[in-house]
Amino acid sequence: MDGRKLISQALNERFRELCGVRLSHFAPETSGEMASFASQVREQLSTSSPADLNNRASGMNTFDDWTVSDTDCLSSLRALSLGELLQLQPGTRPPLDDFIKSLDKARADPEQRFQLLAERYACPLNFTLAAEDETRERVLARLMAHDRARIEKDSIEAVESLDLLLRLNLVAVHAARTPDLRFLDALNYYYELLPDGWQPKATQHKQLLISYFALYARALAAWI
Amino acid sequence: MDLKRQLMRTGILANSLPDALKIYDELKTVPGCETFILLCRATGESRGRNLGKHLARVFLKRGSLRSLGLIFSRKVFLFQKPLDHPQMLARLQKLKLDVGLHKAGVIYREPTINAFRLGILNPHIGILPRYRGRNVMEWALIEGGPVGITVFFIDSGIDTGKRIVLSEKVDISHCRSIEEAKHYLFNLDALFFRRALELLRSPRFEYQLNDEQQGRRYYVMSRLFREVVEKLIEAKS
Repeated sequence: MDGRKLISQALNERFRELCGVRLSHFAPETSGEMASFASQVREQLSTSSPADLNNRASGMNTFDDWTVSDTDCLSSLRALSLGELLQLQPGTRPPLDDFIKSLDKARADPEQRFQLLAERYACPLNFTLAAEDETRERVLARLMAHDRARIEKDSIEAVESLDLLLRLNLVAVHAARTPDLRFLDALNYYYELLPDGWQPKATQHKQLLISYFALYARALAAWI
Repeated sequence: MDLKRQLMRTGILANSLPDALKIYDELKTVPGCETFILLCRATGESRGRNLGKHLARVFLKRGSLRSLGLIFSRKVFLFQKPLDHPQMLARLQKLKLDVGLHKAGVIYREPTINAFRLGILNPHIGILPRYRGRNVMEWALIEGGPVGITVFFIDSGIDTGKRIVLSEKVDISHCRSIEEAKHYLFNLDALFFRRALELLRSPRFEYQLNDEQQGRRYYVMSRLFREVVEKLIEAKS
């Protein structure tokens, strides 16, 4: 059987499970300040087929150069997870070398790592640019080697969830736009790894968990 | 020293004698190659447990006479502490080995690698430089890429050692599951070590470059994709 077809079938099943079962855990009464966002995501994904999401995505932002948006990283991720267009303007790409050095220096400081990533990728679509390959590889390696091992050895509480969830969101934004299956599979892996029904307490964390699932659904749709 | 003319001293780094014996036997056919077995502790294993395990294997299992023969002929060395421990490093250096052959569940640090004149060879079950890291056989299958084995000299990175001795596609179409295919590939290690050592001694041998830019690092595969790979293997067998 054709490999592409098998992949597509498996992803379609995952899409249905994610939109039908996993997202049902985000009931308005358990989502706190994120109740409205959770409801919007649930409604949109439970009533859309992968083809619907892809049709909507075809009118999405396309670009090849660094852009800036008029919102911060978390607001942009929220908009992208609802399939909304970002207001983008051309911008100047900050130097990558210094950023990579800072990111490496913040290896043991999740708060600092979160700040660095949220600042550079205030417009998360920039994470998908070819020139950002080095950051992407670092983000993927951190997720799939270091953090995965810690979670599997101890528990989800062993890693700082804000930093982890931001990286999952960025990977999800990229996964929908690249033929490189490693990024989509990192999302598959974390979907299987995160305890079913797990919800972080803090609002920002909760938002990033919902947007991770929404962006994951969009990435799955792009492959189906 | 030119390895192509001199006697080559190799050390099989293994956690148990049975693991090492298959490779030891295969290398007996390589001319000019003297082989030793270096039994080392698996990462995280205690010293007492390690010693007890080796003694049990030598005395209680089948082929114990042969194992004893190897021990008495000073072909087997037991490393009771981690290989990068100063005492163990000194012992390794004293053995003056040219090549180490990786068969142990340990992570090698630079000083250990450097204790072998040429380094430590690893039979990676993926084609380098394209497939580095974990589950590379599965990744090759799902991407429609080549499945095979690469024997290369390791460095302290993840499959980033620059010197490839041998890289070859392997047909796994007779295998019916991921487990069977991996078992098949892992079991080719002795054969690939022998061929790599023969190449190293051949007059016209040149290393292939393991250029990181030509490949990617892969990670543990999700359950979802592993199931796809199982179906792909099933369909091909």
